[in-house]
Amino acid sequence: MPRPEDYSERKTELSGWAVNIVTYRLGSTYYTTVENNDPGAWVVKAEGSAKEETEAKALKDAEALLAKIKKSPPPTGCTSVPGY
Amino acid sequence: MSWEQVLVSTDWVVKNLKSPNIRFVEVDVDTKAYSESHIPGAVGWDWGTQLCDTVRRDIIPKDKFEQLMSNSGISNSTTAILYGDNNNWFAAWAFWQLKVYGHSDVRLMNGGRKKWIAEGRELVKEIPPYPKASYRAKDPDYSIRAFLSEVTKAVENRAVQLVDVRSPQEFTGEILAPPGLPETCQRGGHIPTAKNIPWSKACNEDGTFKSVEELKKLYAGIGIAGEKPVIAYCRIGERSSHTWFVLKYLLGYQNVKNYDGSWTEWGNLVAAPVEKP
Repeated sequence: MPRPEDYSERKTELSGWAVNIVTYRLGSTYYTTVENNDPGAWVVKAEGSAKEETEAKALKDAEALLAKIKKSPPPTGCTSVPGY
Repeated sequence: MSWEQVLVSTDWVVKNLKSPNIRFVEVDVDTKAYSESHIPGAVGWDWGTQLCDTVRRDIIPKDKFEQLMSNSGISNSTTAILYGDNNNWFAAWAFWQLKVYGHSDVRLMNGGRKKWIAEGRELVKEIPPYPKASYRAKDPDYSIRAFLSEVTKAVENRAVQLVDVRSPQEFTGEILAPPGLPETCQRGGHIPTAKNIPWSKACNEDGTFKSVEELKKLYAGIGIAGEKPVIAYCRIGERSSHTWFVLKYLLGYQNVKNYDGSWTEWGNLVAAPVEKP
């Protein structure tokens, strides 16, 4: 039975969002998932035959999607949320 | 109830992959992930079609639940091990529904799908053919489910603690839903009196749950220590299932409910009070 190989994880920022990029290979296919760090959900997935190409595609799609997220002006004075 | 009765490690799963009275079930946010690959012998459930009422907004009806369990080869005495992506978001949602219908032995795989993959463990694409099992669900246990009326009362009388487990940006109304997730609402913000502890604060970097001591400290920081009833909510009820699992089973707090209507119900109500800093 196949096992995932060449697993990697790294963090970066896309369109102002902190994201985590996870890539692994299963058989001859690479799978990349871009997750936003908070709330920690996957945003975009991609698959391909080469690691760099698969990650590049996922990052491009994720950046485009994240750039479209509509944000209200940052709130102020919220005592329930550290940092606000 | 000890952690071992509700939570298993990936090592435990490897040792029990071929146990006849255990079924592994993958439940993902990404409903295509199961068909890409899954743990050998695991069946896959689609939260969008198999863990809900597909006509009205509700959890899976009792007769459909019995069919799902039966078709998955799960009898009343089977140990069901659930796991999935996003650190078990919808695996926890499935866990909650199995408890609503009284399944006695259900557990989560600590760390979920991502940890299994990160550890380089075996994966397959084949869908296992299990013979149908006989399954009889109990009547739903709503002591673990909060409906709108109860949440409304909680806001008024403050006898119940509300914990909003969404991200700070959702809690403050900066965004309506996490990027890429379509279910949304008309208004941003949170239910009055709710405190914000994002679900992910309960997890380590590898997706496993933090220790009891760390979890106790985390929730005590907003005054949740098991003394008062708690209602957890998020956007559609899956992330709050995760926190419900932590509070009820890992910390052993008795009176904890999941409000599955969550923000997509409250944030769409006409004239409902909304707190937005």
